[in-house]
Amino acid sequence: MDAGTTRFAAAGARPLPARLAWQARIFGAYFVQFLKMRLAYRMDFLVDTLAVGFSLLIQLAVLGVLFGKVSALDGWNFPQVLFIYGFSLVPLGLFNLVSVNLYGFADEYLIGGRFDRVLLRPVGSLAQVIFESFNVSGLNEILLGLAVMVHAGRELGWKLGAGFGVQDLMVLAVLAPGAALVYLGVFLALTTVSFWFEDKMGLAPPVYNLIRFSRYPITIYSLPVRVFLTFVLPFAWVAFYPAAWFVGGPHLAKVALLTPLVGAVVFGGAVLLWRRGVRNYVSTGS
Amino acid sequence: MEPLIRVEGLCKDYRLVDRREGVSGGLKDLVRPRRRLLRAVDDVSFTIEPGEMVGYIGANGAGKSTTIKMLTGILTPSAGTVEVGGLVPWRQRQQYTRHIGVVFGQRTQLWWDLAVVESFRLLKKIYEVDDATYERQMALFDELLETGKLLSQPVRKLSLGQRMRCDLAAALLHRPRVLFLDEPTIGLDVVAKENIRGFLRDIRQRDGVTVILTTHDLGDIEQLCRRVIIIDQGRVHFDGELADLRRRVGQTVSLSVELREPAGSDELAAATGALPVAWEAASGLRHVARFNRAEVRAAEVIRLVVNDRQVQDLHLAEQPIEHVVREIYRQAAAGGGA
Repeated sequence: MDAGTTRFAAAGARPLPARLAWQARIFGAYFVQFLKMRLAYRMDFLVDTLAVGFSLLIQLAVLGVLFGKVSALDGWNFPQVLFIYGFSLVPLGLFNLVSVNLYGFADEYLIGGRFDRVLLRPVGSLAQVIFESFNVSGLNEILLGLAVMVHAGRELGWKLGAGFGVQDLMVLAVLAPGAALVYLGVFLALTTVSFWFEDKMGLAPPVYNLIRFSRYPITIYSLPVRVFLTFVLPFAWVAFYPAAWFVGGPHLAKVALLTPLVGAVVFGGAVLLWRRGVRNYVSTGS
Repeated sequence: MEPLIRVEGLCKDYRLVDRREGVSGGLKDLVRPRRRLLRAVDDVSFTIEPGEMVGYIGANGAGKSTTIKMLTGILTPSAGTVEVGGLVPWRQRQQYTRHIGVVFGQRTQLWWDLAVVESFRLLKKIYEVDDATYERQMALFDELLETGKLLSQPVRKLSLGQRMRCDLAAALLHRPRVLFLDEPTIGLDVVAKENIRGFLRDIRQRDGVTVILTTHDLGDIEQLCRRVIIIDQGRVHFDGELADLRRRVGQTVSLSVELREPAGSDELAAATGALPVAWEAASGLRHVARFNRAEVRAAEVIRLVVNDRQVQDLHLAEQPIEHVVREIYRQAAAGGGA
């Protein structure tokens, strides 16, 4: 820091492990900051936690009633359908946990001007937006999804080690985040649109409603719908394809393993779009 | 010495959509929007040496904030180049922001709901400030800004002046080489303004930090900056020493006088006699005298008026910054050049 030089020392390209460690520390710090903020309003935090637990119980009850009346669906038996449904909730929960700031992005960050401050910090802009707030109720969906999968597995006669091995657990641990990346990529791409159109596009809510089509075996849909959900709006990859590793035939099980790749491609594309959006960012007046 | 900041041919265009009225207008806007380009910053060039403190001034909408936002890496220019310390702000944003501090007077960068110290701790992690430097900086801020007793308070409970002190400290925690201040004294009372100005002078002497500040307040400029850049309608109209600016524009002040009984402006002009004072009738019993402070002492004008007339009220006003800008603008239009 000698005042004579007029060139900034370039921090240079740090080795990747060091950079990842630093990023992890920062996001940990952001998360702790978020928790402190929530705890600053203790009552809110308590009420939220109670509400999350309560809604978990209600959803379980509704499921019980619903699937008590359905037995089989186009060659898929009830426990299989139930398993796919349960699986779909885990990536959805992971996605909801970190996506809360994407919904308010146009209003709060672009129009409200918070994005200026984001760009003034030496941390990736997307990472900051995503990690500045969390939706704790996402944990609700994850827990519910796991519970439903355990229940469906039992109905299918699985036991740990028989029908469901440690290998399956590991695959689940990779496919669920991979599927969450598909969600994140799709909604990030929709959010990025607001860099070019200052009005809220309002595309996210209708697309969000399409998620429910992804909770059923897509073989029940006509070919155009199947193509659409596989290649255009790839929601088939958030539940059906990855869950097929567990409940589909040997052919579908191979397809299931493509999920992380699809997630990486969709999310990677959205990140590139985001970068272009940042270049196009128009700040608010003064 | 090589300049620290180099700005060349900098331009920024905004694309605007002119809205049409009514439902049919809304539909037309949807199908074929009427777009036009607004050039907010137009071919701006300057260089700044290390350790300089430069005032960047202009009226609202003149292009000040847009320039600052390009210099800090927030906005990508439409044309032209910026290099600060050898880095291009918007291209090498993450590297670049480690070397600069930014304060926007209108907005805080602290976490609103948390105690001030929590924000500092998080910034320490983000900028990777080591413990010793952190302690040293905190001690310095407490000494110069008295931030020590504010640390445990939530940001939302601070007064504007207290918040500004904390924001300044937050921007300087990682010992940046360049400090950008956008309206740092806006909305502050006289005492708070003095505190901030004193601090900026101190920190510049200690750390040799280069400061660029935008302001509406001529007092900020007069007390802090030797050099000013005046921008209007996106173009630079003056770039030079404050003393030079003063010589050009003169230090015009206006003295507003309210008389007890009606009188003509010419009568008042007669009262001030040989002094170069321009009188003008305002409204009712009010008259305004304009003169250059460098030539005429205000006390002398007041003495002559009070001796001659029954005066009800007096008010002396500095020439606002908008007038200085307008005067520079007028001179430029008249062919004086800037």
